[in-house]
Amino acid sequence: MREAFDPHSNDNALFVTSRCNNRCLMCCQPPQADPDAEHLFAHNVRLLQSAPPDLPVLGITGGEPTLLGERLVALLEEAHRRLPHTAFHLLSNGRAFSDAAFVRRVCRAAGDNLFVGIPLHSDYAGDHDLIAGCRGAYEETLTGLYNLADAGVEIELRVVVNRLNYARLPRMADFIFKYLPFVGWTALMAMERTGLSVPNEAQVWAEPRQYAPQLRQAVLSLAGWGMGVAVYNVPLCLLPRDCWPYAKQSISDWKTAFAPRCEACRTQAQCCGLFSTSIRPFEGITPILEP
Amino acid sequence: MRNYYLLPFDFTRVAHHEVLVNEYGDMLVLPQGSVERIVDHRLEYDDVYKDLVANFFISESRVPANLGIYASRLREKKRFLDDFTALHIFVVTLQCNQNCIYCQASSRSEQSAQCTMTFDTMEHAVRLMFRSPAPVLTMEFQGGEPSLHPALIRFGIETAERINETERRELRFVLCTNCVHLTDEMLDICRQHRVMISTSLDGPAFLHNANRGKVDSYERVVAGIERARRVLGADMVAALQTTSVQALDYPAAIVDEYVRLGFRSLFLRALNPYGLASNGQDWAHYTERFIEFYKAAFEHILYLNRQGTPFVEEFAAIVLRKMLTPFSTGFVDLQSPAGIVTSVLVYNYDGYVYASDESRMLAEVGDFTFRLGSVHDRYEDIVYSPKVQHLAQLWANEALAGCSDCALRNFCGADPVRNYSTQRDPYGHRPSSLLCRKNKAIIEYLISLLVERREEVLPIFKRWLQ
Repeated sequence: MREAFDPHSNDNALFVTSRCNNRCLMCCQPPQADPDAEHLFAHNVRLLQSAPPDLPVLGITGGEPTLLGERLVALLEEAHRRLPHTAFHLLSNGRAFSDAAFVRRVCRAAGDNLFVGIPLHSDYAGDHDLIAGCRGAYEETLTGLYNLADAGVEIELRVVVNRLNYARLPRMADFIFKYLPFVGWTALMAMERTGLSVPNEAQVWAEPRQYAPQLRQAVLSLAGWGMGVAVYNVPLCLLPRDCWPYAKQSISDWKTAFAPRCEACRTQAQCCGLFSTSIRPFEGITPILEP
Repeated sequence: MRNYYLLPFDFTRVAHHEVLVNEYGDMLVLPQGSVERIVDHRLEYDDVYKDLVANFFISESRVPANLGIYASRLREKKRFLDDFTALHIFVVTLQCNQNCIYCQASSRSEQSAQCTMTFDTMEHAVRLMFRSPAPVLTMEFQGGEPSLHPALIRFGIETAERINETERRELRFVLCTNCVHLTDEMLDICRQHRVMISTSLDGPAFLHNANRGKVDSYERVVAGIERARRVLGADMVAALQTTSVQALDYPAAIVDEYVRLGFRSLFLRALNPYGLASNGQDWAHYTERFIEFYKAAFEHILYLNRQGTPFVEEFAAIVLRKMLTPFSTGFVDLQSPAGIVTSVLVYNYDGYVYASDESRMLAEVGDFTFRLGSVHDRYEDIVYSPKVQHLAQLWANEALAGCSDCALRNFCGADPVRNYSTQRDPYGHRPSSLLCRKNKAIIEYLISLLVERREEVLPIFKRWLQ
């Protein structure tokens, strides 16, 4: 558990719960019960008291933060009171936002200084629900996305690329442009080899070099429509060159690592690197020697 | 096999494929025989099945789970209705300094009397315009040649701006002029009030001059365009082309002329059957030739784009926006409900309000069917009049025989005025409608490009729609 904020880090966040109402097959932080929810809440309020007032972004993560319900509203109120200029980046599966009144309460609490990252696993409900491990999740998440858009909340759509969804990535890009044109940007993300993706490897694991063609098609399709698009967690050596402009250094600084052979790579300074938390690096890591 | 339910969709066959279109214009291209398999409930659980569910062609439950999203998509496509009438056309005068062979507006010589709007009519028309609830109001000055009456235009604009001090709408101004006689006074008005110039240019000099019935029209128009660009900025001058019978032989030359003059787009426009009399036989022949002309010009435009010259064909861009994007398009000639009244009203020089530009052209040949009232009438008595109520029953292609089950309905529109003027019946008869023939042929052509040459054309189309 974090004890203080680091204003130089790209990853300042409140961890608000370990519970979740989805059971995503590749979850990197498998949900569990909160043994002492009151203690966790009090701890986060204490953390806020020590927060530097010029903090640009504060993450709110879990688990599924919206499971706190009205306590999340209270926490955001406190956070906004302490940090009136800070933007709050809430990571959520979006299901609770299918309640439009809840969306309004959350927005008001955050002083409208909120952007929400929400995973979409497929354009097809059956596949989304399969990956999310919960029947009906797609319906609630999609409704939640529309409610957030109605409330004017900026949305980061997160697509965690896996074995069950990568074949449809190009179709998903079309779907996002047509059904979710209001999202601020879409992040296409590689999995971490940690958490549930390890035991569920046979069902969900896919290597970036395996899905690079579909990933590329989706990235260029969204970009061609002028939609915001970003690639997270795929090292540059595994990403087609025409997608490099969309690659972000997405891995939190405290868990970024490089392989020994990356030392020779000329793009290391721009590369997202690898998860130090993964039990094994991606296949095909190759230093880029030409400019 | 899974149990599923059919949602409303239509289909047509293009380029040896079945093209399925759902209620809000999303298109799915599938192999022949697919529709039969869908309808017979013989689908496999594969990506086609998932495409059909994800895009609301079929549903896994009797009522689709995300019906609210279906409604949002449909609502967005019809958003042009939300604001009501945004385009207000002021026919300043019928006087004109040109003598175009295809004149659609029954223009008269510069010396003609009794065909210019009075200041009183202008003032009442502007007041009527502000009764429309639209947050953006466009005043478009037409003729004849409106620039022959700069004082009247200035009065119209200044009256609107004065009223707008309390109304607080966004006002836009467009001057439709042949650019032959743009005086300092006229350009001064345009600069002062940020008036856009919409001009008419038919292609290379020999073609343009032949169409205008003048020997020096081309030079004067091009000089006028240059002058307007210098004073107002290049992006404030747009041009329209009209395809005369002679022009049908010069598709590439017309496009090249637009490129040469620095335009970045062109609207390939067919003649319409107003103004000059003509018999049905001629129109059928012209329509077939126009379709071929359009395709040839379009191929040339695609060629230019491939060569690195960004150049847009505007009619296609409107259709493609309907086909490929989730957004609403505001183009009055290709809308359902039709653009008349809902999107455009015309205030004629004669002091009367008409349903559309083409309605006032009918009035010039003595047919007042689409005259809705006088500029002195109450707004409610005009837009809710029995005439408009009757038109409202005929202006949605979702409810017209021959349109309601057409797969291309979403990309097309309804046009009761055109139906009336060509078929003497505002309801219209699609199988013999040449407008239907032309629109269908062009829309199917665009679909065939997307089916057969997707990799080549889609990146170009995406750039056009940005």
